[in-house]
Amino acid sequence: MAKRNKYDVDESLEQGFDFSKLKRSIVYVKPYAKLMLLALGLSMLGSLLGLATPILLQKAMDVAIPNGDINMVVKLALASLGLVVVATIFGAIRGVIMSYCGQSIVYDIRKDVFDHLQILPFSYYDSRPHGKILVRVVNYVNSVSDSLTNGLVNAILELLNLFFITGYMFSINVRLSLIILSGMPVLLAFILLLKNVQKKANFDNNNKNSNLTAYTCEAIEGVKVSQIFRRQKENQKIYGRLNREYQKAWYKAAYLNNMMGPVTENLKQWVLCLVYIGGILWISPSVEIGVLIAMATYASKFWQPVISLANIYNNLIKTMSYLERIFQTIDEPVDICDGPEAKPLPDMQGRVEFQNVRFAYEKDYYVLKGVDLTVEKGQRIALVGPTGSGKSTIVNLISRFYNVTEGKLLIDGVNINDITLHSLRSQMGIMLQDSFIFTGTIADNIRYGKLDATDEEIRAAARAVCADEFISQMEQGYDTPVTERGGMLSQGERQLIAFARTMVSDPAILILDEATSSIDAKTEKLLQQGIEKLMENRTSFVIAHRLSTIRNCDKILYIDGGEIKEAGTHDELMAKKGYYYRLSTAQD
Amino acid sequence: MQMFQIRFVWQHLKGKRFVFLLGMFITLLTSAVVIVNPYLEKLLVDDVIRGGKTDWLLPILGMMCLVILLKTSLFMVKVVCMEVSSQHMLMSIRNKIFTNMQYQELRFFDRIRTGDIITRTTGDLEYLRHFVAYISYNAIDIVVTFSSALVMLLFISWKLTLTLLAVTPFIILTTVIYSKKVAPIYRSIREKLSMLNINARENIAGNRVVKAFAREEFEIEKFDQSSKEFKDINLRAAHAWQKIVPIIDFLAQFLSFLTILVGGIFTITGEITLGELTLFTSLTWALSDPMRRVSGMLNDLQRFWAATDKVVEICYDTPLIRNRDNAVHKEERFDGKINFKNVSFGYTEDKLVLDNVSFTIDADSTVGIIGPTGSGKTTIASLIARFYDVTSGAIYLDGVDVRFRTLESIHKAVAIATQDVFLFSDTIAGNISFCDPSMEIEQVYECAELACADGFIRKMPDGYDTIVGERGVGLSGGQRQRIALARAIAAIPSVIILDDTTSAVDMETEKQMQYNLHNLPFHCTTIIIAQRISSVKNADKIIVLENGKVDVGTHEELAARNRYYRDVCELQDEKDLPPFVGTQASEGGEA
Repeated sequence: MAKRNKYDVDESLEQGFDFSKLKRSIVYVKPYAKLMLLALGLSMLGSLLGLATPILLQKAMDVAIPNGDINMVVKLALASLGLVVVATIFGAIRGVIMSYCGQSIVYDIRKDVFDHLQILPFSYYDSRPHGKILVRVVNYVNSVSDSLTNGLVNAILELLNLFFITGYMFSINVRLSLIILSGMPVLLAFILLLKNVQKKANFDNNNKNSNLTAYTCEAIEGVKVSQIFRRQKENQKIYGRLNREYQKAWYKAAYLNNMMGPVTENLKQWVLCLVYIGGILWISPSVEIGVLIAMATYASKFWQPVISLANIYNNLIKTMSYLERIFQTIDEPVDICDGPEAKPLPDMQGRVEFQNVRFAYEKDYYVLKGVDLTVEKGQRIALVGPTGSGKSTIVNLISRFYNVTEGKLLIDGVNINDITLHSLRSQMGIMLQDSFIFTGTIADNIRYGKLDATDEEIRAAARAVCADEFISQMEQGYDTPVTERGGMLSQGERQLIAFARTMVSDPAILILDEATSSIDAKTEKLLQQGIEKLMENRTSFVIAHRLSTIRNCDKILYIDGGEIKEAGTHDELMAKKGYYYRLSTAQD
Repeated sequence: MQMFQIRFVWQHLKGKRFVFLLGMFITLLTSAVVIVNPYLEKLLVDDVIRGGKTDWLLPILGMMCLVILLKTSLFMVKVVCMEVSSQHMLMSIRNKIFTNMQYQELRFFDRIRTGDIITRTTGDLEYLRHFVAYISYNAIDIVVTFSSALVMLLFISWKLTLTLLAVTPFIILTTVIYSKKVAPIYRSIREKLSMLNINARENIAGNRVVKAFAREEFEIEKFDQSSKEFKDINLRAAHAWQKIVPIIDFLAQFLSFLTILVGGIFTITGEITLGELTLFTSLTWALSDPMRRVSGMLNDLQRFWAATDKVVEICYDTPLIRNRDNAVHKEERFDGKINFKNVSFGYTEDKLVLDNVSFTIDADSTVGIIGPTGSGKTTIASLIARFYDVTSGAIYLDGVDVRFRTLESIHKAVAIATQDVFLFSDTIAGNISFCDPSMEIEQVYECAELACADGFIRKMPDGYDTIVGERGVGLSGGQRQRIALARAIAAIPSVIILDDTTSAVDMETEKQMQYNLHNLPFHCTTIIIAQRISSVKNADKIIVLENGKVDVGTHEELAARNRYYRDVCELQDEKDLPPFVGTQASEGGEA
């Protein structure tokens, strides 16, 4: 199991932080490249039209008005109005296109992140606060669209702009143009100098933000515990600390991000001074006054796109720091997945075979130390033993929540790694210790086990696990809305719903891990009878502490220290007077 | 105008209001400094280059550099001002929300879900930050630019200026209509964002169930739905916006058109001179630009209103369960005597969970509570700790109605090892010493030993320093329960409630736990909620809870007279039961 992350510990970044992430994000931009090119074209046309307006104005001022030609004034005015109309329509179309591209890119990236999260194993979720996963799916993804759309298009526009101005400048005067360009190396040097610090600052900022969100999530979910133990003040202290850390990181990033603009502006001014000095020194005979004035204007015009580009670059740095995290999630290796040989096992019989299976969550820390076991189709197996002995691990391996470290696990004679995960798990009914209920109605929750279950099937499953009675007593019955960990249902009721959910899925292999721990004795008894029938012809694995519930099992395994210490029927094990016997007598 | 949002922001700027206003002032200065350099440039061109006063060259250039340096320095100061003030406000609001959440009653969290709260503390707060650090400064800039241009233009030609101003009502009208139209869209955007957060969070939290049922595809589809809705509503907003932008742009540009047309005619008719017209045209942008920017600002403002409503809501939502004005606070230890007097309670109005229930739990005694699923066992624990208030009747702790005590003193007296064990992503030691982080490590060990948790904790690779995941993932149910018990013992409570805390623990361990609980190193009333007779039968008193009613007695008494209790005893193979003499029929037995 990977080292667990806490809310107040920054997540490290395994890979280096570089612009290859930008290259990779092109994949997301590509499907919209044509649209974005269209937007680019429209923007260019718009800027050209924008250039025409001052010319018309000039003409009005220089020719029409001094001549008293009202007719011409009206014409020129209308022409400029026409240009404005066209330009604004172009602008609006560009806006619509860009927001479409931006939102689509966000949607696509989010889909990839979420889809990948679905195949990531438990250990991924177990090793970090859930709030840290959440910010990646929602907040980070939301933050990348602008850079990847408007940022990109504007960068191209500004570069073109820069290109034309440079060309124009050089055509007027080479020497002064070189002076204007001389500021560029300085700016680049500054950018390079700042790059790493700036990236780290943005990265830290994300980390601190993620910590704060993680803690907020946790504190809200654990609020009952905090109230019981009067931890509120202490929690506020922790929150305050995380808040301050975030603020500090924010300041650093914000100030660094804001430095680019002023530096560029100062640089521009110095270059302008050099142009004037150079121009005046060379004024005669090489530079004419008109040329000098024009060059001074171009110096300003040249630096305008540079300043815009510097701002785009700043946003890019921020975006990179988000993409870094997003891609890290998408790239998170999945070790529990369908191998190239994997095939579906369409009609699972339920024969399970362990061949010297060893398993360790952490390297060399073996939880299972060589398990050999053959379970025939339809057999009922009980696993008993002290907590932490490895019972849950055994059933977790059968549903392949973890890969066996050594040895082999076969289902219907096929290596479990060669069965597609979907076909494996969809034919297994796994009742977990923690009965998680989704937001929706009670019927929705039961239907989770079989998406196309009819209302009758749902009722039947609920009846089988004795949940029908309490559900029917509710005012809205099966349509009663419930929320995750919702307050209205008791733990036992939630367990019954989770049970019905498992039963409706009609599994070939049934795994019950402490499935009835919160259910009262009488209901449990009835439930036992109800599921007795359902368990026929299904292989089942039952973990229970109340031995009374497992007496009828075909085989009882006493597990301790990661090994099967005893195996046999209740009567056999009682006769043996070993571990099971002692456990059993202790309960009476 | 939604003034309360602005008042809310102003309130939380407290302490940095001066900085905020300073930033505003500097914005004004920067706007003024901007005019200096064009003037210097004009001097340079006219006097130095054309006029040949070359000795002025360096001083003027130096001045220009200084002006820019001043301007950019002022800009940096402004950045600092706006960051400091906006961050200060955010921190203050965040802390306020967090504090409020910490004291909220449980019903609140049924209503407002975690994902929604996260949306409010991240996405919504971002709009508040945007308001303070951006919109407000921009507004100043817009007002100043517009009004100074207006004054200058009025001096040049009031007739022409008034003609230009004729456009303003149209711009205002358009933006107002637009704002009305777009406001619900923005509210909808943040609802969808909230749904996105809620759905993603639930999926992350339920990842085990998703995998157990191989429902990845289903989840992807479900999430895709909300992701799509979020995209669509954003696009709708963008479309609405893009419908309005051209109109505003057009109206703003209309000013240039009017300047040429009307100005041209005025010049020709001799109303103004050509020079005045030139000056006029060069200043028209200073009118039209703010007009354009105003619409963008109104757009941002709409988002700000929508976001602030949501933030204010969770800042000020006062829980119904809170300290009364005259609440009794008690620092000293409680005896731990509990009285239920005619208590009725229901989570909803129409369905009572407890129906006129009365019983007494003596100080320092052990009481078991047993009853069918959903009978209200956990409810009793929640009522003692005052997570809910009774519908009628009263609960007394050491003789005083819990509603008249401070919540702090109740929670200090009562510790619950909850059924649904929530552990924080912290070390095991940190979780056990949850009530008092300054606790000595020896005491942590001792509590763990009492809860029979020491053994398995020490077997873990990092022992007490093992970090457990949220909700204690990675631990078995029994292990989690024992850590929860250790956490409760560490609080040295006067009343300890074990809510089904031993259900996933093996019998041998449970026996040891029971023994330890009987011999705690401090006086303590013990309430054990359980499903097994063995967990409760040695208690001084057992409460059988069924159909909202209670039957209180000892093991022998109840086994002899209570049908439900008797049935459970028999089901669980209890030996040495007295002959049954009761008549009460059990509901469960008939079903």
